[in-house]
Amino acid sequence: MARIVHYINQFFAGVGGEDSAGTGPLLLDGPSGPGRRLAELVAPEHEIVATVWCGDDVAADKVDEIVGLVRSADPDLVVAGPAFTSGRYGLACARVVAAAHQAGVASVASMHEDNPGLDEAGAAPVVASGEVARRMAPSLERLAAGIRRLLAGETLTAEDGRIGAAARLTVVTDDNAATRAVDLALARLGGDAAATEIPLPRFDRVTPAAPVADASTVMLALVSEGGLVVADNPDGLESARATKWLRYPLEDRDALAPGDYMSVHGGFSTAWANEDPHRILPLDAARELEAEGAIGGLLGEYFVTTGNGTSVANARRFGVEWAADLRRSGARAAILTAT
Amino acid sequence: MPPGPGWQYAHVALTRLVHQVREVGFGQRTSFADGVLTVSAEQARGLLADEALAAVELSWVSPGQSARIVKVLDAVEPRSKGPGGGGIFPGFVGPARPQGSGETHVLRGATVVTAGFLPRAQEALVDLSGPAAALSPLGATHNLVVEFTPAQGAQWERVDAALRRGALRLAAALAEASLDAAPDAVEELPSPSAGARGGDLPRIGVVTNLQTQGSFKDVFVYGRSFGAGLPTLLDPGELDDGAVVSGQFGHPALKNPTFMHQNHPVVDELRRRHGNDVEFAGLVICPEPVEQGAKELISLFAAKVCAAAGFDAAIVTKEGGGNADADVALKMDALVDLGIQPVGLYAEMAGVDGTGPSVVVAPERATAMVSTGNYDHVLHLPEMEKAYGGEQFALVKAPAAASFEVPTAVVYCALSPLGWGRIAARSG
Repeated sequence: MARIVHYINQFFAGVGGEDSAGTGPLLLDGPSGPGRRLAELVAPEHEIVATVWCGDDVAADKVDEIVGLVRSADPDLVVAGPAFTSGRYGLACARVVAAAHQAGVASVASMHEDNPGLDEAGAAPVVASGEVARRMAPSLERLAAGIRRLLAGETLTAEDGRIGAAARLTVVTDDNAATRAVDLALARLGGDAAATEIPLPRFDRVTPAAPVADASTVMLALVSEGGLVVADNPDGLESARATKWLRYPLEDRDALAPGDYMSVHGGFSTAWANEDPHRILPLDAARELEAEGAIGGLLGEYFVTTGNGTSVANARRFGVEWAADLRRSGARAAILTAT
Repeated sequence: MPPGPGWQYAHVALTRLVHQVREVGFGQRTSFADGVLTVSAEQARGLLADEALAAVELSWVSPGQSARIVKVLDAVEPRSKGPGGGGIFPGFVGPARPQGSGETHVLRGATVVTAGFLPRAQEALVDLSGPAAALSPLGATHNLVVEFTPAQGAQWERVDAALRRGALRLAAALAEASLDAAPDAVEELPSPSAGARGGDLPRIGVVTNLQTQGSFKDVFVYGRSFGAGLPTLLDPGELDDGAVVSGQFGHPALKNPTFMHQNHPVVDELRRRHGNDVEFAGLVICPEPVEQGAKELISLFAAKVCAAAGFDAAIVTKEGGGNADADVALKMDALVDLGIQPVGLYAEMAGVDGTGPSVVVAPERATAMVSTGNYDHVLHLPEMEKAYGGEQFALVKAPAAASFEVPTAVVYCALSPLGWGRIAARSG
């Protein structure tokens, strides 16, 4: 009998909703929440021996702790979710299975293919869930089938509902890229209409949020990928390939003085940004709008990262984290200045 | 009447007289004999002297050494067409007049490399041994590294210009030492479309985008920034003679230093296969502007030039990161719309584990793409005995010679958008 440890969030563990999103992680004996049904589906061959849950707000940053708890229960397989389209939960599930997989423990997560966490699962398999928790029953059935196959030593494929891109692995080629390019041109001219080395990527289509009905009643936030940090970049924001984002206070400030702020962005000449930091972060205009009553208020801090060669997975994570953070702080509109 | 297929360039082909450099050193005077290149450091410092530079330091760094060059800026292959350069590097060393014909002496296996801090330059490295050595063309060449101290109060733009001028002068002077030496090889280079259209061979050309995004991210054609230029046909021989000079220091693995333009891999490949299975249809160079409207204009215009030159297919190359993917994608779609088959060379940005969407801007109607590897693929670099170019490797805040992990993105030309490399990303 294989030992399974199940990862879920605070909501599905029955601990609470947003009010409890900052708690955990915690280890429980046996199955819990959706794990009870999942346990029935994989029995009698396999058993859910423990459940680890963590609050959505803190889980993405406590992956090491979560994986430590998971491994303390000595699992043969780690399962996470289903997370449906819930961004923070999906991100946590993806990171937990990615870390477990990397540590050599078989693992699988379940989420909808639009979940922003999908790309963070690394080389661990993810099977599709429904879009919302109402689709729990069929989602668990598919997940249980995947678990059985994995524990039988098989690999999951699209037929099992596996989603996510196949990893692009670096290989050494016989010919250089120039030779291969001419060969590919000849293949295409010769009638092979599909020949290519790179499959077309699948991009998200983001539906813009509905316009704010009355801007004079909402709190506005300023966020940017323009690399604008305080002088000397004490927190070390990267000029390219950012792996983090930072927050800086705006409270009691009416303007961003040149010299107090600088852009570390490596993708454009920062001379004009440094001459007048408002060119990246329009605090001056926002304060005017606030004074006029055109907006209900301005959030007392801004978020910033560098959008320059940043991986989609990191960019997506920043977006999920920003959205959750802004929602919690009461902001209902944000201006994202892009460079 | 617009020129159609079979249109010919009106010039003679170029002959490269190749001198293989086997050994290097410093001496009383600059000379080249029997494969040994000796450099007078005093002469070299004189050629680099400029009021924007307080001091320069010269070192030879050769293949197999336990050595690393960090903060790598431009690299130039020494070349000369005669005394005083004979017109080489037009607009910088020679006068800004069309070049690309006659004879050009090449010191193959040697480079002049500038290394040190400039604003906006992204940290780049070359290892002369270990796993990264094979990923950079400079891992296999004898590199005359020019380190520098800016003059107090000198504007960075002036420092950059002084280094560029000085490195080109130095490269011309080194090759001048080979003018009387018997070459190891004589390479007669076919010119695009010289002679009749080769029967039924498909006419394949190359479209090369030059990243032109302001100071420290600029490329010069005949000594002038190409930023405001429109796509134009260039004879590949003009690349050989240094008509295209790099001042672009972003995205180390995705940059095209002067050395790479002088040895453009797609041009080399089309020359090699000209008359065999392809007819080399020509080279079109394009600026890579930052603004979307300008990107669209340049792309439509480039496709128009390719059509006028009778291309059946075009290999499209870029310079830079994700922004530059848009220039390739727009051109590929514009080419398809004019009935020309495009192939885009793309470095992928697939994330550390290779699972991210790997192309930032993909074409919509054109789909033939070649991979030059994954930008984010992690390399483990061993400790080196000596480092040049700076004390620190800024990206990882470690001593420059230390052992560290870096993304392939920092290795100079490792993902060469001009097609030099032998790595690719494949779906696993």
